[in-house]
Amino acid sequence: MDGISLWLHGAWAVFEKDVRLELRSRYAVNMLLLFVLSAVLLVLFAVSRESIGERVQAALLWIVVVYAAAVGLGQTFISEEERGTVLLLQLNARPSMVFAGKLLFNSLLTLGLNLVAFAAFLVLLGMTVKRPGLLALTLILGGLGLSGATTFLAAIIARTANRGPLLPVLLFPLLTPLLLSVVNATRLALTGGSWGEATDELLALVGFAGVVISAAVLLFDYVWND
Amino acid sequence: MPTGSFSSRAYPIVRNGVLLWMTAVLLGAFLMDIPRLRILEHTARNLYFHVPMWFTLIAAVLVSAYHSFRALGARDPEPDVRAAEAARLAVFFGVLGLLTGMVWARFTWYLGSGLWWNFDPKQSMAAVQVLIYAGYFVLRSGIDEGPKRARIAAVYNLFAFSTVPFLLFVLPRQMESLHPGAEGNPAFSQITDPRMRLVFYPAVIGFIGLFWVLYSQRVRLALLRLRTGDESAW
Repeated sequence: MDGISLWLHGAWAVFEKDVRLELRSRYAVNMLLLFVLSAVLLVLFAVSRESIGERVQAALLWIVVVYAAAVGLGQTFISEEERGTVLLLQLNARPSMVFAGKLLFNSLLTLGLNLVAFAAFLVLLGMTVKRPGLLALTLILGGLGLSGATTFLAAIIARTANRGPLLPVLLFPLLTPLLLSVVNATRLALTGGSWGEATDELLALVGFAGVVISAAVLLFDYVWND
Repeated sequence: MPTGSFSSRAYPIVRNGVLLWMTAVLLGAFLMDIPRLRILEHTARNLYFHVPMWFTLIAAVLVSAYHSFRALGARDPEPDVRAAEAARLAVFFGVLGLLTGMVWARFTWYLGSGLWWNFDPKQSMAAVQVLIYAGYFVLRSGIDEGPKRARIAAVYNLFAFSTVPFLLFVLPRQMESLHPGAEGNPAFSQITDPRMRLVFYPAVIGFIGLFWVLYSQRVRLALLRLRTGDESAW
C-alpha cells in the first residue's frame, strides 16, 4: 500500500474503533440525546407561551448545541486517558491518523446532535424554515467548525490534571466567531433571506472551519506525543 | 541566553528612556491644544490612551505567539516564560483598553442613555480576546510545571492565535460599529487633526515601550525564580 491509502486506512481504523466502542456502550449518543432534549425542555418552560423571534430562536438553538458539544465531545480523548489506551494508539497510529479518525467520529456526532436539536426546536417551539437548503448547509458547516475546535481542545484538556469543567471555559471564547456567523445564517434560513445575503456568513463559516482544522492538524503532534 | 539576560546593561537605559518618553507623552496629552468637537470635547484626549492600548495588545499577542512557537520544540523554559509573560501583559493592556473604551463610550456614544455596554463588535470581540488569554492561564494552572506544561500551553496559545484574525479583523468589519473605520464611518486617518497626531504616534511608541519594559522585567524575574528554585521540573 502506498502512503496515502495507508494513512486513510489508519484513520478509518481509529474511526471504526470509536464507532464500535460507542455502539457497545452508547454512552455519548445517549448523553447527547438526553442533554439536548432536557435543554430544549428548559427553554420551553422558560419561554412558556411567549412567541420568540427568529433571531432568538436561532440563538437558543446554537447555545444548546454548543453546550451539548462541550459536554459530550470531550469524552473522545479523555476516555483514552482513563482506559489507559493512549500508549497503544501512540504506538499503532500516526498522530494525524488519530486526529482525523476522532475528528470524523466527532463530526458525525455533531451532525446528529445538530439534527436532533433542530428537530426538537422545530416540533416543540414551532419553528418554521423558509430555506431548508441554506439551513442544511449552515448546520453542516457550523457542525464542522464546532467539532474541529472541540476535538482539538478535548485533546488538550485530556493532558491536564482536572479534566472536567475546563473544556467549556476554553471552548466558548474560541467559538464566538463561529457562533455569530452561524446564528446569522440560521436566522436568514428561518426568515427566508436570499443566498446572496448569507454568502458572507457562509464564507466566514468555511474560513473558520478551515483555519481551525488546519491549525489543529499542524499542532496535534505536540499534544499527542510526549 | 539571548537578549534580556540577567546582566543586560541596556535595560536601565531603555527603562529610563521609556519613563522620560511617557512623561513627555502625558504632558502633551493633557496640555496640548486639541480641536473641540461637539459631544467629544476634551474626551478626545482619550485617543492618546485608548487606541495605543490596542496597539500594545496586538504587539503583546504577537510576541506571545512567537515565543509559543519557539516553545513547541524547546528544551529550556525560556520561551515558555516569555510567552506567558507576554500573554499576561496582553490581558493587562486588554483590560485597560476595555475600561478606557467603556468610560469613553458611556459619555460620548451612549450619552444620555446610561449604557455602559452595547453590542459594539470591536468592543465585544476585544472582550472575547481577553477571555481567551485568561483561559490560557486557567489551562496553565491545570498542569504541573515542566516541559509538558510549556508544550501544551504553547499549543493552546497558537491554536487560539489562529482565530485572532476573525475576532479583530474579519467580523468587526462585517458588522455595524460606531468605531472609526467601520461601515459608514470615516477611517481614523481621515478625521484626525494633524495636531493630535503629534501626540498620538509618540503615545503608541511609548505604550509599546512601556510594554517592553514591564515584559523584560517580568521575564527576568521569572527566569531568576526558576533558576533559584529548589526543585525545578526542568
